[in-house]
Amino acid sequence: MKELKLLYLYPDMLELYGDYGNIQVLKYRMKKRGINLIVDRYTIGDKAPDFTSYDIVFAGGGADNEQSILSTDLIKYRDNIKEAVKEKVFFLLICGSYQLFGKYYKGVEGNIIPGLEVFDYYTVAQPDRKKRCIGNIVLDVNLGDTETKVIGFENHGGQTFDIDSPFGKVLYGNGNKFGDSEEGFFKENIIATYLHGPLLSKNPVLADYIISYCLERKYNEKIGLEKLDDTFEEKCREQLLKELLK
Amino acid sequence: MYNLLVIIFAKILNVFANILCKILHKDNGNMLGKIVKKLSPDILKSIKIDCPVIAVTATNGKTTTNNAIRYMLEKNGKKIVSNKEGNNMETGIITTLIKNCTLTGKIKADFVTFEVDESYVPIIFKKIPLNTLVVLNFFRDQLDRNGEVESLILKINEFLKTYEGNLILNNDDPNVARLGRANENNKNVYYFSVDRYKYAKDYQTEAGEGKFCPFDKTKLEYEYYQYSHIGKYKCPKCGYGKEILFTEIKDIDLENKTFKESDKNYETLANNIYSVYNYAAVISVAKLYGLDAIEALKTFKLDNGRAEDVKVKDCETIINLAKNPTGANVSLRTLNEDKDEKELLFVLNDNSADGHDVSWIWDINFDVKNVTRIITSGTRAYDMAIRIKTSGFDIDKIEAYLDLKEAVNSLYKTKTKKYVIANYTALQPIRREIFNERT
Repeated sequence: MKELKLLYLYPDMLELYGDYGNIQVLKYRMKKRGINLIVDRYTIGDKAPDFTSYDIVFAGGGADNEQSILSTDLIKYRDNIKEAVKEKVFFLLICGSYQLFGKYYKGVEGNIIPGLEVFDYYTVAQPDRKKRCIGNIVLDVNLGDTETKVIGFENHGGQTFDIDSPFGKVLYGNGNKFGDSEEGFFKENIIATYLHGPLLSKNPVLADYIISYCLERKYNEKIGLEKLDDTFEEKCREQLLKELLK
Repeated sequence: MYNLLVIIFAKILNVFANILCKILHKDNGNMLGKIVKKLSPDILKSIKIDCPVIAVTATNGKTTTNNAIRYMLEKNGKKIVSNKEGNNMETGIITTLIKNCTLTGKIKADFVTFEVDESYVPIIFKKIPLNTLVVLNFFRDQLDRNGEVESLILKINEFLKTYEGNLILNNDDPNVARLGRANENNKNVYYFSVDRYKYAKDYQTEAGEGKFCPFDKTKLEYEYYQYSHIGKYKCPKCGYGKEILFTEIKDIDLENKTFKESDKNYETLANNIYSVYNYAAVISVAKLYGLDAIEALKTFKLDNGRAEDVKVKDCETIINLAKNPTGANVSLRTLNEDKDEKELLFVLNDNSADGHDVSWIWDINFDVKNVTRIITSGTRAYDMAIRIKTSGFDIDKIEAYLDLKEAVNSLYKTKTKKYVIANYTALQPIRREIFNERT
């Protein structure tokens, strides 16, 4: 039986919008194809994980309070994380984690919260706390061989700059900044995005991209994934795309 | 003088509005309050209330608890003014007071009771005197509309720093009990607690907020969880979690719907743990004012989609509102505690009043027992179907209908017992469809 290992970072702190849904979707789609997904959780106080020993690393978004507590913890693993990125471990980073992996986050008062500096982008808080990018969002995403429209929901005050390779082109919604044409950050083994919560639930093509990528990396062979019954997903997408892109 | 004229004008307007609403069969909701607030933003300051004002705030259970407090007071022979329809923002409060005041702006009652939206507590009670504030719980709720829970708590905490009235707090929610320390000079803080019940767990099975001590950020240690993050906790560092209890509910028996408080036996019509918490608050209010809650709780009936129990085509149907993960989790908890075979209808809308973000459904624990079929409906029926399917529930036993009528038609094709869970704007439309089916 084929098997993948996922590291789930700070599940007790980065879990604001049902981000765990992404792991559930991956697990579900793998189980249907007879592939096992092992999920290891890491949070403050646990034994240090070796990021390079995983196939996927997942981190979600949290409340401001939680995020400031954990950023100092995460920085301890910077070198190990950089190594894992280099070794092409897959990283799915949502919202707050997306920001944390950049150079820094500049708060409303001009205070700098250092990031992991794994990637070159940086984020600046929107001065008016009440103004946030909130709403449904649709992206045109090119995953190398596959193109798909990604549907999600964004809710962020931070505005992210200096992205050289975005995750997608914005068809509806804001993106990295208010009224931006681009959203997120993408490299073949990295998806960092503001699309929070169960991003993969409405985007089975994206979920399968991640699964295929990780299987091919681990087993070093081309792996075709069996088609699943995605009737609900298809209907959901059809309804939302019609509503949002009219 | 101007405000007095506004009140008189509003009273006259109310008479016409009532006639118009009767003709059109419509509820005028907050209209009156909206108009009055435009004419005089501080109108609340001009309304004279000489009796005690009791307010209830929380994420979940505001309407039920406020109505139970009103019912308890009425059973004790008191005359009450209350926003019983649940219009709980400033315009709703204005509407209630204008409707019930004299032409000179006086409220003649023994008590005024309000349910108040969490974020409106500081705004409303800057303008009208408050005698007792009841705080039940804080859960994550429509984050795209309300923002983070913590900022909401801080707002109320700020208000309480200068408040010296009665404060009735749920001791079992660490984010509520902390409010008792907002003002050290306030000697009128009363805590209520509910003893461990049969289905409490040693570990957390549902999304919750109370993970860290609000005073020193240490991870809280829980002895047990009743539901969500409500339970018995302690901060290993500073000892937070040990308040002196004013009301302590014991011997909770949900099958027989009974419990004990200070050696008094209570019988109720509710079979779920979150109602016991609401009633603990009601008993605290009764004790504080030297009144009795036993008789009231015996006959206080939940309705209007709050654990509402109706018969439709010979099928027992339990309808429950769930606006957020905790609301849905406690509904599913009641469903799982019921050993009968049943079918579930979950209605999910994403209108403005619901919040457009439906991500929260992934915080629901969908580990359901003895459920033979699940139907989803509402504007986000498919999102809900995907959520349920991913939890491992057999895909062939899930049906999704955007249309409520189709969903209800299909639901009553079988005779199995029904559970219906609906979010805010979905609740009344689905109740109407279900009641249509009944005739």
